[in-house]
Amino acid sequence: MLSTLELSPRTLDAQAPVRISVRNLDFYYGEHKALKNVNLDFRDRHVTALIGPSGCGKSTLLRIFNRIYSLYPEQRAEGEILLDGRNVISKDVDVNELRSRVGMVFQKPTPFPMSIYDNVAFGIRLYEKPPKSELDDRVEAALRRSALWDEVKDKLKSSGMGLSGGQQQRLCIARTIAQRPEVILFDEPTSALDPISTGKIEDLLEQLKSDFTIVIVTHNMQQAARISQYTAFMYLGEIIEFAPTDTIFMNPTKKQTQDYVTGRFG
Amino acid sequence: MTMTSQTPRELPHAEWGRVRQSRRTADRAMKIITTGFTFIAIFVLFWILGMLVVKGIGGLSAATFTAVTPGPGSEGGGLANAIVGSFVLTFLGIAIATPIGVLAGTWLAEYGRGKQLANLIRFINDILLSAPSILIGLFVYVILVEPFRGYSGWAGGVALGIIAIPVIVRTTEDMLNLVPAPLREAGAALGAPPSVVTTAVTWRAAKAGMVTGILLALARIAGETAPLLFTALNNNFWFSPTLVGGVSNLPVTIYQFASAPYENWQQLAWAGSLIITMSILLLSVAARRIVRGSK
Amino acid sequence: MTAVTDMTSAPSAPAIRKTPKATFDFVFRNASFLAALLVLVLLAGIMVSMVIGGWPAFREFGFGFITSSVWDTQNEQYGAWPAIVGTLATAMIALVIGVPLSLGIAIYLTQLAPPWFKGPVSTAIELLAAVPSIIYGMWGLFVFVPLFAQYVQVPLSNIVEGMPLIGTVLYARSPSGLGIFTAGMILAFMIIPFIASITRDMLEQIPSVLRESAYGIGATTWEVVRHVLVPQAGVAIIGAIMLGLGRALGETMAVTFVVGNANRLSASILDPGSTIASRIANEFNEAMGLQLNALIALGCILFFVTFIVLVIARLLVSRVKRY
Repeated sequence: MLSTLELSPRTLDAQAPVRISVRNLDFYYGEHKALKNVNLDFRDRHVTALIGPSGCGKSTLLRIFNRIYSLYPEQRAEGEILLDGRNVISKDVDVNELRSRVGMVFQKPTPFPMSIYDNVAFGIRLYEKPPKSELDDRVEAALRRSALWDEVKDKLKSSGMGLSGGQQQRLCIARTIAQRPEVILFDEPTSALDPISTGKIEDLLEQLKSDFTIVIVTHNMQQAARISQYTAFMYLGEIIEFAPTDTIFMNPTKKQTQDYVTGRFG
Repeated sequence: MTMTSQTPRELPHAEWGRVRQSRRTADRAMKIITTGFTFIAIFVLFWILGMLVVKGIGGLSAATFTAVTPGPGSEGGGLANAIVGSFVLTFLGIAIATPIGVLAGTWLAEYGRGKQLANLIRFINDILLSAPSILIGLFVYVILVEPFRGYSGWAGGVALGIIAIPVIVRTTEDMLNLVPAPLREAGAALGAPPSVVTTAVTWRAAKAGMVTGILLALARIAGETAPLLFTALNNNFWFSPTLVGGVSNLPVTIYQFASAPYENWQQLAWAGSLIITMSILLLSVAARRIVRGSK
Repeated sequence: MTAVTDMTSAPSAPAIRKTPKATFDFVFRNASFLAALLVLVLLAGIMVSMVIGGWPAFREFGFGFITSSVWDTQNEQYGAWPAIVGTLATAMIALVIGVPLSLGIAIYLTQLAPPWFKGPVSTAIELLAAVPSIIYGMWGLFVFVPLFAQYVQVPLSNIVEGMPLIGTVLYARSPSGLGIFTAGMILAFMIIPFIASITRDMLEQIPSVLRESAYGIGATTWEVVRHVLVPQAGVAIIGAIMLGLGRALGETMAVTFVVGNANRLSASILDPGSTIASRIANEFNEAMGLQLNALIALGCILFFVTFIVLVIARLLVSRVKRY
């Protein structure tokens, strides 16, 4: 099993500064405690993967970083998540602005009911009022960056819902990076896609990490091994092991981690 | 656990505080306005109910339920004939609509699947569901009142029945569609023909929902006034047991008494309004309970 | 209700068991088919009876029946124009007031209401639909009309008197509180539950991941609703509004109480007028001869207008979900 994993050459910089650090984080769905005392550091311009069996809390953790959980009144988080030293869970952080800094790409592609151009421009327009030419440039740059430009440059005014699933997901990535966030969260971004589209998205992630801090939740261990520099293994709402991806897959220190990455459970 | 715990270094990032004030204002305004709109609607409901209680409760007495509606200028009186007449007309309507509505809904759900004709019937039924009730009154006038040269409870019952049919068709079909296919298959596997599977298995499984549909239809027709104006009409004495001639009923009585110059008529109109509205609201709430219970 | 129980137990009844099952099957199948066909027959029947009943009036006055403003029972001259205008005007006023309220309620229920509050509010809104038309009429006539006359009509008429255009449209010659606007106002509250609950259902059907991703890009609640959720529900909301329009056009009793029942056409929306339905309700029982035909002809016009509106409404709504 381990030998079949193709590990990409690591460009891991152990001196890279920490962009997000999680301190003593607990999370509740009503009475149910879903995360227990999570502590983690996410390094700037690295890809960190969250892996673990379903229900382990990896998506839950991801959804705290941009406080998307706060749409649901029965969910609450306690502890600290420091983004550039600022606790984003505290009430005095503007949740909308937080989300413009911490972008998110979801499991299913979610084009908004508007044109391809407007989809990408939507987030920019919320926070800035650039002149038309600059807006055009930024939309084009974002679409190029997400490897979609050539496919859509002749139909920017047509609806984003007319694209294929893989294209829609790249449109969502373009929409996110157009806002120039500091962090991008990916919640199983390829689980609804075919292998070819998945490959394109993975290539994209590789490119994006030169500019963005990336956190990705995936149920696909090969994917985590291929694209991430750091991996956190979670089980039952706790971080079992957090280490460079090579270590997690080749030489884990915990038995549970080893069982999981060798496919013995989950 | 290999855990790095160094303090975050200062990184290049945009300044906080980029949310424009106008966006916050628009958002807050929307929240205040939509909340306000909701409370306006709730307020109107309670205003109407409060009005009925305040003005209607004084008119309620034993005589309301025992005495017949008073003639012009006469003292006292009650609503006994109107209440009984309303019961008779409403149940006549339901008695006509239930077999037709249930059978039609059954055909749509069990026999009509995928048929163009079924789609057409479903579509037309949805239109009948919101067709103006006054037109149904006119229709029954043309087919039943005019040819037989006289108003009758039968015509009123038919008019109410026609209003109830689409409601029952719709809920019956919806409820039968909720019955899982394996249940039907299990019935058919025992060698039962489709009709027996439907009546003995599917109907039984969907019973609560179908009863809800009938209750909703009951609530819908109990307060209908317009279609009765041209069919059952109204009068101020006990109607004939054959239901030929005008049959007194609450809605039309309320309509005629409400703006009449006699104080006892107005009192009775308010009392009747209270009775009829409370009955209908209770029926609606009960029907909703059944739906929730069966889900 | 009794009928259902009877039928449910029918197959086990001895009488059925004795007959060959194939017979019962045949009878049941055809009976239910005939019942379903009856739905079509009813609609066709309404259409045909309206056309035939109204035919003498259409034949007598021709196209002039629609455009004439005369309604003279002495001289047997009938024209539908004031009633048509009144019907359209009241329905439009109902939409102008009712649609924003309905959409606001649907947005509040789906996006803002605390979970424990959602159920009671939804029930209250749906109960607004259960209140009989005649009760709305009573509320309108005895509660709303006096308040409206005293606090809106009188001061407003004093202000706008003499002004161009507004002085005509908003001036009440006799500030009784009755009139086209009052009828539209009452109608607005009657159609709110229909538009609001369909819109609520449409908004609730939108996958939560779309809503989350709109929030995820940093949009405020208003921006999410305005740019993503409402366009996503799209035509279905227009369908819901059309359904409300269908209701407003044919609503009878409430309108009859408050519209003032004037046969003449006034340029002011605060003056009394009449609608097709209110005129039928008012005059039908005393009508004879050609007047009766003219009233049924009015019904015929109402039928075709509401039929077209409801067909469009159902087509739009059914694209998302049957209603």
